[in-house]
Amino acid sequence: MSDADAVRAEVDTLLALVRERYGSRMDAEQLAGVRTSIEAIVQASRALRAVRLTNADEPAQPFAAYRAEP
Amino acid sequence: MAEDVVFTPVRQLAEGIRARRLSPVALTETFLDRLERLGPRYNAVVTVTRDRAIEQARRAEAEIAAGRYRGPLHGIPYGAKDLLATSGGIPTTWGAAPFKDRCFDFDATAILKLEAAGAVLCAKLAMVELAGGMGYRQPNAAFTGPGVNPWNREAWSGGSSSGSGSAVAAGLVPFAIGSETWGSILSPAGNCGLAGLRPTYGRVSRHGAMALCWTLDKLGPLALTADDCGLVLEAIAGRDAADPTTVDRAYRYDAGAPAGRRFRFGVLRGITDGCEDAVRENFARSLEVLRGLGTVEEVALPDLPYDDVTRTILFAEAASAFEDLIESGAIAGLTAPEDHYTPYARDAILAKDYVKALRLRSVMARAADRVLAPLDALVAPGRATVAAMLGAEVRSAIRGTARDVMGAVGNGAGLPAVAVPNGFGARGLPTSLQLMGRAWEENTVLAAARAYQSATDWHRRHPADP
Repeated sequence: MSDADAVRAEVDTLLALVRERYGSRMDAEQLAGVRTSIEAIVQASRALRAVRLTNADEPAQPFAAYRAEP
Repeated sequence: MAEDVVFTPVRQLAEGIRARRLSPVALTETFLDRLERLGPRYNAVVTVTRDRAIEQARRAEAEIAAGRYRGPLHGIPYGAKDLLATSGGIPTTWGAAPFKDRCFDFDATAILKLEAAGAVLCAKLAMVELAGGMGYRQPNAAFTGPGVNPWNREAWSGGSSSGSGSAVAAGLVPFAIGSETWGSILSPAGNCGLAGLRPTYGRVSRHGAMALCWTLDKLGPLALTADDCGLVLEAIAGRDAADPTTVDRAYRYDAGAPAGRRFRFGVLRGITDGCEDAVRENFARSLEVLRGLGTVEEVALPDLPYDDVTRTILFAEAASAFEDLIESGAIAGLTAPEDHYTPYARDAILAKDYVKALRLRSVMARAADRVLAPLDALVAPGRATVAAMLGAEVRSAIRGTARDVMGAVGNGAGLPAVAVPNGFGARGLPTSLQLMGRAWEENTVLAAARAYQSATDWHRRHPADP
């Protein structure tokens, strides 16, 4: 499968999910707009996945353990 | 009071108030009148808070008369982007039709801090609906209509703090509070020829502000000068138990940088690629000015997908923050037609990719800090283009129709930046220069911006009333 075909297959799969959830609210033109947005999301996710990180590279996150003070 | 106070920087207004040459009540009446008379011409105002303003102004006047001067914002009128909660029956609409009558029973921390500083809330200012988080593509994306640019009323004031930009630029308030997730302070500041300061993430409490993206949202001032931005930042900065992302670092605005201080500026390689000609030319002239203030050197960031990192975080968090609105279909009540369906696509962001973006964000923050460490500021055009026309499609790095490495890195890594005007481009519209620094270095970027403004006069030019 070519790279373009792989992207298209991924977009098709994700679009099917969105159509299943919200398809009844959208006409064909709006659905085409959503497809364009999903194509951008897929391209972005592929760019993210292309960068190799180590096991020690943690997410930037604000979580902290919580304990109510008396 | 004569309108010669209009377009006077906060610092000079404050001197007049402190010396009791200016009356806070009269000053407030002047700006309330302009907000009511001219605000609709710019679609800049959601609510004029006249009663609250007069009450605060009278209190300020009495305190000052009694010798209890609180500081440089005491008695100074201002406006707040309408995503900051206000009590007392003043609506907080988030710029969105579904919330146009909604009121809160508390004040956002930034509103409370400004009240404590003695500032006078005169208006809740218009904004792009939900701070632009639904993917709008046009200026007409608020129930108040498109933000109109005071320099050219056929052009947009910018987003998403559109009213904050046009109100200050039109002399309707001396300063305003805006918010930035990605570009929403620097964009209207640049489009309207103002100074706009995006503080370090965690510097200013977001409590009571609409959440678009918990890990990207910042509040900051738009004003006539970089110096005024520093005065306002000092009033709104600080740790807040109601916002656990705020840090326990005291902020004191340092306006007294020694004369003749030399700065070290960096410019990212290729930063003007894709800019309009006038933007590129004005930036080149700005660099000449900056070379008179210090050194300018070319620098490079490592090759990482900066835009994709910040965009993925923004889309995923916005989809979660507005889950109810999106899943209920209530987004169909928004103004921009594309906001009715674009957010549905965000369900396609996989959790693993969001976490990868958060991991890369740490890498990005370290890379940016390594580049910034020897510098006082990275400098770049504030925007690649002048403001869009009201009927045109808006180019946006958030949607991927423009590149904005400075915005992606600056917002993704939570770094402070200030935009100041640096000339004019097509259709008589302003262009801008941005200066971005290391985390917590607001005083450094403000000192550099002040030095630039001391050597130029773009900030002294103002549009005529319609």
